[in-house]
Amino acid sequence: MSKQSHTAKDDQAGGLLGFVAPPDIHIECEAFTGSLAMLFHCVKERKIDLLGVPLAPICKAYFEHVLQESGDQDLEAAATAMTALAYLLERKAWQLIPKVDEEPDDDDLLEQIEPYIQELRPAIEHLRDLRDERSLRFFRQTEETGAEYELPFDMGEVGASDLALVLEKLLERAKPDTVEPPTTPRRSLSEQMIIVMNALSDEPKPIEEVVTEEFTRSEVVWWFLAMLELIRLGQARVRFAKGSILFSRGEVS
Amino acid sequence: MKLIDSVHALLFAADSPSDPEQLAASLECPAYEVEEALDKLGERLSQGGPVQLVRIAGGYQLCTKPEFAQIVAKYIQPQQSKLSRSLMEVLAIVAYKQPVTMAEIDAVRGVQSDYSLRQLLEKRLISDVGRKPTPGRPILYATTQQFLHLFNLDTLTELPDVDLEELEIQALIKKEEEVENTDQPTLEPLPSGESGG
Repeated sequence: MSKQSHTAKDDQAGGLLGFVAPPDIHIECEAFTGSLAMLFHCVKERKIDLLGVPLAPICKAYFEHVLQESGDQDLEAAATAMTALAYLLERKAWQLIPKVDEEPDDDDLLEQIEPYIQELRPAIEHLRDLRDERSLRFFRQTEETGAEYELPFDMGEVGASDLALVLEKLLERAKPDTVEPPTTPRRSLSEQMIIVMNALSDEPKPIEEVVTEEFTRSEVVWWFLAMLELIRLGQARVRFAKGSILFSRGEVS
Repeated sequence: MKLIDSVHALLFAADSPSDPEQLAASLECPAYEVEEALDKLGERLSQGGPVQLVRIAGGYQLCTKPEFAQIVAKYIQPQQSKLSRSLMEVLAIVAYKQPVTMAEIDAVRGVQSDYSLRQLLEKRLISDVGRKPTPGRPILYATTQQFLHLFNLDTLTELPDVDLEELEIQALIKKEEEVENTDQPTLEPLPSGESGG
């Protein structure tokens, strides 16, 4: 790289790009020979392949130029030229990133598909028939419980995923958490359990009727943990009734 | 002691489908001999008595004959959990498209399926079989032996025929037609260029 005199052609190139002409840095490499201003112009017009032009020496030469002439240089012109240099770097960076496969990814394909569950309906009915046929055969230990563990307390037909669904419903209603100072002490689980016990009644109620006040996401998680602990201790009960999951106070031990 | 009787005894005691090779290993005899014994046992049981030999979930198992279903059900009162419509839909999609991700199931149904998937996992009718090597590495689901057993199937090849590929092509065509029929103004494509990706 070498510095050369500023030419009218360079001014034209800079003007075409819409910024102040860059400093007089001469570039000479296999892919391009000319001034920095001309390089900008050629890249903009897609006349050369930037991949063949090493940009690191150009940046170095540019910074040297800025440092050497910092006393009498127009700061705005230097900044504009810097932006142009950044533009070149960005263009080259994008070119250097490996091209992804042109095939649309799975998510795109999924968006293009119209739901076709109705067309699967006959197969589903056939599966139901198979299930009915199977129900006429009794094997030794035919009905598996579906759980590899035994709960130490009775939740009736309510499963873990049912409780998870209740938590999800609460989370949908929850407000975002507020930022609190780190010194604010968190309520203990025992304190939270007392709050939950006060909210519960002997009459089984759906969760919407148990938790009526507003809450944040972390509050609802804390609330739910306390509820689970109460269920585990037998102080709260959860049951399926009338198509919904109902919570109530348990028997006090 | 006859091999057929030994096989019968093992099957009677077993609480899950037995593989002929496992039986052979236990009885210390060649697998083909066990298979012959199984054929003979099946024939013998089919000729009379309340029990039959069936191929189910990749193995052999003894079970009561359907004509005895009513009296047996009355006696043992089995707790049969019904599979809801949404569970059946998700199960069918997993069965036919396995291994399949939740997003793929959602696309076929047009609604979210996370709750149904969790229920099926809990019932051990489906299981997590790995992750798809795509961005996000979503979990892949497939049916289990329990599924085959519950639906009276020996292998997945016994599933009722459905040309899923054809259904998906039809679904794509349908979606394209819908897009064409909408009168939404189309945007001009952005000029090609690397800037900004």
